[in-house]
Amino acid sequence: MSEKKKPYDYVESPFMLTRREFVIIGGIIIALLAVPVVWLRSALVNRNYYIKARTKGLYQDDVSSKIRMSHENPAIARFYKEFAGHPLSAVSEELLHTTYVNRMNALS
Amino acid sequence: MNVEVKTYRKGEIPGIIAIDGQNCRGCDACKRYCPTGAITGMFGATHRIDRDRCISCGQCLINCPFGAPYETVDTVEEVQAKLGDKRYTVAAIIAPAVRVAVGEPFGLPAGSLVTGKMYGAMRKAGFVIVDNNFAADLTIMEEGTEFIQRARHALFGEKAEHGGEIGPLPQFTSCCPAWVRFVETNYPSLIPHLSSAKSPQQMAGAVAKTYGAERIFKVDPEFIYTVGVMPCTAKKFEASRPEFQSACNFVKERGGASPGTPYPDVDTVLTTRDLARLLKRMKIDLAAENNAEGGTLFAEYTGAGTIFGNTGGVMEAALRTAYVVLTGNNLAKLEFEEVRGLRGVKSASIQLRDAKYGKDVTLKVAVVHDIRANIRPIVEDVLAGRSPYHFIEVMNCPGGCINGGGQPICDTGSSWIGRILPSFAWS
Repeated sequence: MSEKKKPYDYVESPFMLTRREFVIIGGIIIALLAVPVVWLRSALVNRNYYIKARTKGLYQDDVSSKIRMSHENPAIARFYKEFAGHPLSAVSEELLHTTYVNRMNALS
Repeated sequence: MNVEVKTYRKGEIPGIIAIDGQNCRGCDACKRYCPTGAITGMFGATHRIDRDRCISCGQCLINCPFGAPYETVDTVEEVQAKLGDKRYTVAAIIAPAVRVAVGEPFGLPAGSLVTGKMYGAMRKAGFVIVDNNFAADLTIMEEGTEFIQRARHALFGEKAEHGGEIGPLPQFTSCCPAWVRFVETNYPSLIPHLSSAKSPQQMAGAVAKTYGAERIFKVDPEFIYTVGVMPCTAKKFEASRPEFQSACNFVKERGGASPGTPYPDVDTVLTTRDLARLLKRMKIDLAAENNAEGGTLFAEYTGAGTIFGNTGGVMEAALRTAYVVLTGNNLAKLEFEEVRGLRGVKSASIQLRDAKYGKDVTLKVAVVHDIRANIRPIVEDVLAGRSPYHFIEVMNCPGGCINGGGQPICDTGSSWIGRILPSFAWS
């Protein structure tokens, strides 16, 4: 081993990175990976944002209502007292109920 | 478009939604939202809508990244003309979901609750207010009573008061016109399970032209022009169903003035987008309006009526009333958190004691929205007779009416992947 003499004291490896180069290249790779992660994450967080916003708006309307149960609505009570009598009465059946039709045969 | 349509009766508007071939890029985004597979066309080629299968829900319309689907029915000018005609009382039937979305086209943030401003703007335009939330409360009274009758019949063998037919359990809600048409075209054997109660819009129309004409507006029902203001394109179809002339028949039977031509309960329907367009044409800025009161008996509503616009809302409102009627006690907590939120199928069981029969009952309820993804297993269970539920709410659109096909359009819709996929379509 000692017989073979090295031609050079120091050989620079072409694949060797300096600390500075390692930090720069590593930074670029992490940045490239992070971009789609951030993009997907924001898409996930914002998904259905307007559905959620509108849902919240209606529940807020519910909470701020003084009366929160249908049968306690004075206007409904007045409607039944003056006009329809009671739910499922003859007037109700005529005005507030309906029937449905089979449309499947036409489709087949 | 001279193709014969088969699943529509005479007088009904066939095909509310059509695709504009000029704008369609064939990206298939709409197909991923269509509940009935009515959209045909190869990837990359112009798509078409099969009107016989279409239930007019408008999900393709609000989710298309290119704005290709459009509404074939537009009555904004007609309504404006009626507002200018002093002979007519123009009654706006305003759906719950409109008040949290109509602010968006006027620059307010998504989800702003603008009931007062909306009343102000619409009264300025010349409408009288018939809040559909009032009719929603009425729906709960009718549909809830019907449910209690069905449940007592199935559980305790109770007979109908007048010996009439009582439908089977589970009872399905019938507020959503797209769902009703879905049942009629796909699962007609489920029709007995549908609640016989009309949707709030049709109740409001019928009440406004009978009780309203007589006691509230004090005008001839022929000169009441009812305008549904809905978050929904399928409501346009619903209003055109020929059986919805009940007010006209009711008045005629009771010896009222016989009208020249029969009038429908709801004369026309505007979507939330149409309403914004109408107000802008009339140079009314909703965002700048002051808060106003509704001003009529029909503008009084409860919190239960207003949540109809959310998925789970009808169920929650029905449970609040049904609990009180069945047990005779008040609820400790009004919120039913189990039926809220965006899970596909939500279920809850409520233990209560029926005061009339003195027996303990466990009511099982389910809430389904986005029927494209979620309805089939539920329906198959009901048809096979193995459904555990007593009462099932169904809304076609994901999230309920607040995300309906007539609402203001927010870029490309409710799915995050939907925003990315159209980028891969060759145009």
